[in-house]
Amino acid sequence: MTYAIEVRGLVKRYGDKAALAGVDFAAPPGTVLGVLGPNGAGKTTAVRILATLVSPDEGRAAVGGHDVVKAPAVVRKLTGLTGQYASVDEKLTGRQNLVMSGRLLGMSRATARGRAAALLGEFGLEDAADRAAGSYSGGMRRRLDLAVSLVGRPSIVFMDEPTTGLDPRARADLWRIVREQVAGGATVLLTTQYLEEADQLADEIVLIDHGVVAARGTPGELKARAGDRRLEIRPEHDAEKAELILAEVTGLTPHRGENGLLSVPLLNPAVSLAVFLRLEEAGVSLAEHAVRRPTLDEAFLALTDTTTSGRTP
Amino acid sequence: MTAAPTTRVRPTDDSGENAMTAVPSTTGHRGALAQGMTLAWRSLVPLRNEPGRLVQLLLQPVFMVVVFVLMFGAMSGDTEHAARYLLPGVLTQVALISTNTTGMNLAEDIVNGVFDRFRSMPIARSAPLIGRVTADALTTTVIIVVALAAGLAAGFRITAPPLEALAGLALLLLFTLALSWVSAWLGLKAKSVASMQGMATAVLLPLTFGSSAFIPPANLPGVLRWWSSLNPISHLADAVRALLTGTPVGPHVWVTLAWAAAVTACFVPLAVRAYARRIR
Repeated sequence: MTYAIEVRGLVKRYGDKAALAGVDFAAPPGTVLGVLGPNGAGKTTAVRILATLVSPDEGRAAVGGHDVVKAPAVVRKLTGLTGQYASVDEKLTGRQNLVMSGRLLGMSRATARGRAAALLGEFGLEDAADRAAGSYSGGMRRRLDLAVSLVGRPSIVFMDEPTTGLDPRARADLWRIVREQVAGGATVLLTTQYLEEADQLADEIVLIDHGVVAARGTPGELKARAGDRRLEIRPEHDAEKAELILAEVTGLTPHRGENGLLSVPLLNPAVSLAVFLRLEEAGVSLAEHAVRRPTLDEAFLALTDTTTSGRTP
Repeated sequence: MTAAPTTRVRPTDDSGENAMTAVPSTTGHRGALAQGMTLAWRSLVPLRNEPGRLVQLLLQPVFMVVVFVLMFGAMSGDTEHAARYLLPGVLTQVALISTNTTGMNLAEDIVNGVFDRFRSMPIARSAPLIGRVTADALTTTVIIVVALAAGLAAGFRITAPPLEALAGLALLLLFTLALSWVSAWLGLKAKSVASMQGMATAVLLPLTFGSSAFIPPANLPGVLRWWSSLNPISHLADAVRALLTGTPVGPHVWVTLAWAAAVTACFVPLAVRAYARRIR
């Protein structure tokens, strides 16, 4: 089958450091691929290669079946880029930014204006349309950035951390827009640092760390493996005994946090009760205990611990 | 996986642009020029958006004429003679300083990620450079005209035949264009807008002030006289002055043209290479 986005054995080095050290992933048309990872994992490098901004040192990247190195002009026609590194012109108004993009894509003045007006409405930017983009709030600017990338109705959209630094409401706005784009038939590659965001939007998630794929799967599969909640305890004393009990009851290796905090993925809510009972029997009292969603760090640890390798041969 | 096996172009919405089914082909020379004009428009629009920018653009040359021609002229006693000498110098100064914007705006576009947006679009790679240089040539022309008008109001008289005077302005514009490639090169190499500004100032100030634009080299002490007579800007200022006032031009026009050619030959390839590196 022809994937909308396909990456095989991608390597990109900057000096001695490999930003990508052999990454594979693919997205069928009309789906959302979530590329999840911490800062410096190589997510942005992968997006920049796909958007023809940098060329890979090794491996192959194809968009809509077209090689990004051999046919960059075709790839640019099919794609839109938004996020961390693609930006709007702050000195232009929202409307002028959109009209400029339309004109650059070869639209007539009237068509470009019509398309700008339609997108301003769709993205809730009508009131701010004629203000300089430099005066926009973070959320408005991301929405404008996304709108600009969609002027040419690309069939494939790259979004590099579109919600990093946004407040929850602005984030929810952006999620709605992403869903609408996918409903309209677009393929979306979305990078994010937030497990929850990938969970909300992605059909399939690729977890990248230090330039390699650490794990992959549907959000459901990954969450099941990471444990979608975590049990945290902070023993007042007998830390080693507590750790042993925690490992014994859950069958998992506890993660040691700061100030004696111990945590494990909580696959079954009943387990926490068993842990507390055993600790009480052993006479270990707790300064603190909680059940909460995993941070990305913990998800990484859990996923990289429990899987031998997520990489395809 | 049940998704369709090929990438498709998405259906249009109901905004009345049904004819647009695919992203149109927009590369090639015609495209590059049209895109360059769109990007020149984009560079000039902030002047309309923020009247303060326009006021600054128009006021700066007027201010320079007031300070150098009227105030320094008053100091010399013979204001008419001073205007004849100083105004061509001010024209040279304001035109050359205006090249700063080329590099500064390029550096800003790189830092802000605007360049990456352009590069991710199906447009000619040269379009952003064409747009930038076109917009800056237009603003420089406006600055020269405003400074000249202010000079005429301050008592300067064009005493050369019109064609000769126009040739003087054209020579100034030509040299400014050559210098804007140096600015472009600095802007493309700079790590930040501030460092670009610093470098450009370090180049421009000694060139413009350490020339015959304001003071004849013969009146300067030792090292300054040596630098001023060596400085290509002295030839430019002398050529512009001679062509506007109808006095003998001597070798200055040719020396200036030679310098413009040399700077262009040197810095266009450098700027294009720096640009190609930045857009790799």
